[in-house]
Amino acid sequence: MSTSTFLAGRGSRAVRLVTLSLAAALSLAGCSGSSPGGSASVPTDPSQVKGDLNIVVSSAAGSDAGFKAVNDAFTAKYPNVKVNFSAVPNENYNQTRTSRLTAGSIDLVVANPRELPSYVPASNEGDDARLADAGGWVDLTSQPFMSKFTPTVLDQIKYKGKSYTVPTGLSYYSGLTYNKKIFADNNLQVPTTWDDFVKVCEALKAKGITPISIGGKDTAGIIMLSIVQSLFPTAANKQDLAKGLYGYTVKLNEGQQLEVLKKTQQVYTYGQANFAGSNYSQMTADFLTGKAAMISDGTWNVGALRGANKVDFGYFPLPASNTAADNASLGGKVELSLGVPSNAKNIPAAMAWLQVFADNYSLFNAQAGFAPSQTGATGDPFYTDIASYTKTFQPAWDTIWIPNTKAGQAAARPFNWEAVTPMGSSDAQAAADAAEKDWEAGK
Amino acid sequence: MTTLPVAAPASLQAAVQHPETAHVGHRRNKPLAVVSYLLMLIVVVIYAYPLLFLINTALKSNTEFLVNPTGLVQSPQLGNFGSAWQQGNFAAYVLNSVLYTLVAAGLGTVMSLLVGFPVARGYVKHPRVWQGLFAAMLFLPNTLVTVFQLALRLGLYDTSLGYILIMASGVGVGPLLVTGYLSSIPREIDEAAAMDGAGYLRYLFTFLPKLMAPVLSTVFILQAIGVWNDIILATILFPDQTKWPVTLGLFAFKGTYTSQWSLLSAATLIVAAPLLVAYLFLQRYLVASVVGGAVKG
Amino acid sequence: MRNYIVFGRRSTAQLTFALGIALVVVFSLVPAVGILVISFTDIRSLPYLATHWVGLQNYQTFFSSAQLAYNLSALRNTFVFAIAVTIFQNLLALLIAVLLNQRLWGRNVARAVVFLPTILGVTVIGLIFSLIFNPSAGPAARVWAAFGTSSAFFGDPKLAMTLVIFVQVWSGIGVAVVIYLAGLQAIPSELYEVANIDGATAWQRLRFVTIPLLAPSVTANTLLCIIGSLQSYQLIYVLTGPINPATQVLSLAIFTQGFGGPQGGTVQSQGYAAAISIVQFVIVAVVSLAALAYLRRRETSL
Repeated sequence: MSTSTFLAGRGSRAVRLVTLSLAAALSLAGCSGSSPGGSASVPTDPSQVKGDLNIVVSSAAGSDAGFKAVNDAFTAKYPNVKVNFSAVPNENYNQTRTSRLTAGSIDLVVANPRELPSYVPASNEGDDARLADAGGWVDLTSQPFMSKFTPTVLDQIKYKGKSYTVPTGLSYYSGLTYNKKIFADNNLQVPTTWDDFVKVCEALKAKGITPISIGGKDTAGIIMLSIVQSLFPTAANKQDLAKGLYGYTVKLNEGQQLEVLKKTQQVYTYGQANFAGSNYSQMTADFLTGKAAMISDGTWNVGALRGANKVDFGYFPLPASNTAADNASLGGKVELSLGVPSNAKNIPAAMAWLQVFADNYSLFNAQAGFAPSQTGATGDPFYTDIASYTKTFQPAWDTIWIPNTKAGQAAARPFNWEAVTPMGSSDAQAAADAAEKDWEAGK
Repeated sequence: MTTLPVAAPASLQAAVQHPETAHVGHRRNKPLAVVSYLLMLIVVVIYAYPLLFLINTALKSNTEFLVNPTGLVQSPQLGNFGSAWQQGNFAAYVLNSVLYTLVAAGLGTVMSLLVGFPVARGYVKHPRVWQGLFAAMLFLPNTLVTVFQLALRLGLYDTSLGYILIMASGVGVGPLLVTGYLSSIPREIDEAAAMDGAGYLRYLFTFLPKLMAPVLSTVFILQAIGVWNDIILATILFPDQTKWPVTLGLFAFKGTYTSQWSLLSAATLIVAAPLLVAYLFLQRYLVASVVGGAVKG
Repeated sequence: MRNYIVFGRRSTAQLTFALGIALVVVFSLVPAVGILVISFTDIRSLPYLATHWVGLQNYQTFFSSAQLAYNLSALRNTFVFAIAVTIFQNLLALLIAVLLNQRLWGRNVARAVVFLPTILGVTVIGLIFSLIFNPSAGPAARVWAAFGTSSAFFGDPKLAMTLVIFVQVWSGIGVAVVIYLAGLQAIPSELYEVANIDGATAWQRLRFVTIPLLAPSVTANTLLCIIGSLQSYQLIYVLTGPINPATQVLSLAIFTQGFGGPQGGTVQSQGYAAAISIVQFVIVAVVSLAALAYLRRRETSL
């Protein structure tokens, strides 16, 4: 009888409290984990490659198909390995990745360790960078398969001089996809300076054609990135800007920085009516049905546009500067770079897979629809069209800018396009002022 | 002699206490029926229209959706459902989902009853504190991070058992509903059953379900929805694809920048269909209660 | 209220009660306490990374001046959102449940249609309504055009919140109806018949029989609504994006700050995410427990 009264009475609450705190403490302990692994190499003996190989990437129709093609080639070469490949959508990817890394149940994963510039406080270091510092990624620098990838691309994704990730492809997004026929019908040339661009847009507007279809919150930000690309063309220019902002020697609401928002606002005036409520699908539809002459989009969409087969399209950088040379390059980023965690259970198989990937890159690239990260790899003919813009790989602004976690939200990008009409309710100056205020709050 | 569980106008009290004096007649109220049908039609339209939009999208080919996302479908692709089924690998996952849902929701319903009844009847001390706890369980912070760590340390990572236990513990509003409903079941019924020799557990699992069919089936379906539609816990807990529920088959259609909307719509309809069938099946339990009859005499 | 046990010994009841509570405690309460604990650390839940105790630093960051203005405006939006959704969703669900409880031909079809949004998931509901409210080609645009105006709908800072509330209510009524229908079954039909005898109109039946006896369901539903509207962000995320000042609610601000949005979100530690989850928990707890106390008092007084 005493047990039941114990269970039901106040005693049980004490028992519960003790269990709670014990369990909570237990759950905390042991989170500083295993000893870091070092480098490994591609096994020369095929019989060493066996067991399970777990790959998790973020999902996209094209790259998923590309990876499957490589997996088939891999299993053909190493029949003793079972490849467990899963693709998880972007919104769930971070949590999935963290949990798999903690449980040690993953061999190949999307990784992006971003080197923190000296002027950025250490508190802004991302997960992957911290992992790299702690030895959590296998060092791939001297691996044979790395030499197959374009050196300038590899340089962009190095972390503290070492390569920890393999680039699977590139995307460019500081330009506009344009309808060649509409341009031809209206005697318009691809603009190379800002004034030319404004003339083109005005001409189209006069004819009743929507100059640019903007897909609301989905693509209004890309316009800002495109303008930054022209106003700060090289990686060095962008780094200087970031350094100036972090050092508070440069302000968001004056000079070229204000110019970014001013030009963004002007480009917004060439968008369709009420574009703030539009979305990616509607923007694509406007383009494919010929309602809009241009869309602000990235090259990741090339496959879908090609598949629809409705419009003969091209791509050019959005010229936000009046110096044509500044507008001659497209800004982009590396898509889906793969890394090998040091606590992976099957590192030999992971290395073998990467070698197969590098050797059979064309299999992947044919499906993925990215710009190739290996020189000489053939992709969509679209990429040969834009080859003049992509000779030197220029990283886009969002791959260089590291947001300050202590600053306010308006300074996250830090150019505050969300507040500019019609996305928000301010004009460029007011939006820039708000961003500067939030930025300085993070001092 | 019986009393109503809550205060009600005196005339109703009197009528219930002396049913023989109440004349039970049935006048069909025509204008009320017309108004009711009209209102029902409005409700159905407000709900069916967006759903038709979904079916419209599900029937479009990828290209047609790209070119015309909002318009009526020109060439319906019934094959979308077939491709969605295949690409989402649903055949492999459907059994998993059924297992998880039936066991976890069933276990959770049993839990709700086991936990709600003693609190409603005062068999445990401080019932109001427990009621507060039931309510508090509804707004606990998102515990994904720590639940994962817990499962890892208990050895439940990548096990169906672990998944089911965690899902079953998410009883949500179940205990609250059970305690609320029990206030309308008089204690006399407990006493009558006890005098007939029924034990506690027998009463709870053979007598009560007949009386509580509506609320128990509601608790079950609510928890079943949660388990069937769960994506995030399954993603985190199951590296092994053979244990995946159907919702993870939807991943095949979502992309980083764009998704295959028409196939995703078709796939979502496929994933939702079993729950809808279950709900329709449970409608038979959502009928006027038996309590009234048991109360007479 | 008599408290003696009718079923012989107490122990069976208490043992099974303890078992049930144990399951809930182990998998729901312990992790919740765990969240509280890690909110005082800088844990990142990754191998090779050590965890450090940082005390109140995470909370200080949340309440720091930079984030505070943003979080306060999110709080304002949250209350508007929560109050509007709770009132409309509850009221409409009650009326619909009463309607669909009558013996009408085709009521199961109606019940199924109302229930369907519950099981469709946020992504698809977001898709449907962004199509319907497409400013250039959707049906809503056509209706607006018939009146000679146009609108950016979800892109219009003035209209966005109203539309989001509408969609949230639309998708949430299903669950509330299910709960009300269950509660309606507990009302003995004799009461209605007797009310009929007494000459009560439909409205009076609703007021004096249905609503008082539905009090427990009203409590459960109101609580669910309040908590849901204070905590849910997925629909707003899908419809208007992660950083839209017009529709920014606290739960969404917490999600983007803690778990990072796809663009421009910052990568904080999970300790920070836990800290702001606790802040949200406290806010929701205060509001919910106050509501619960009020509703329970009304329940027993009836």
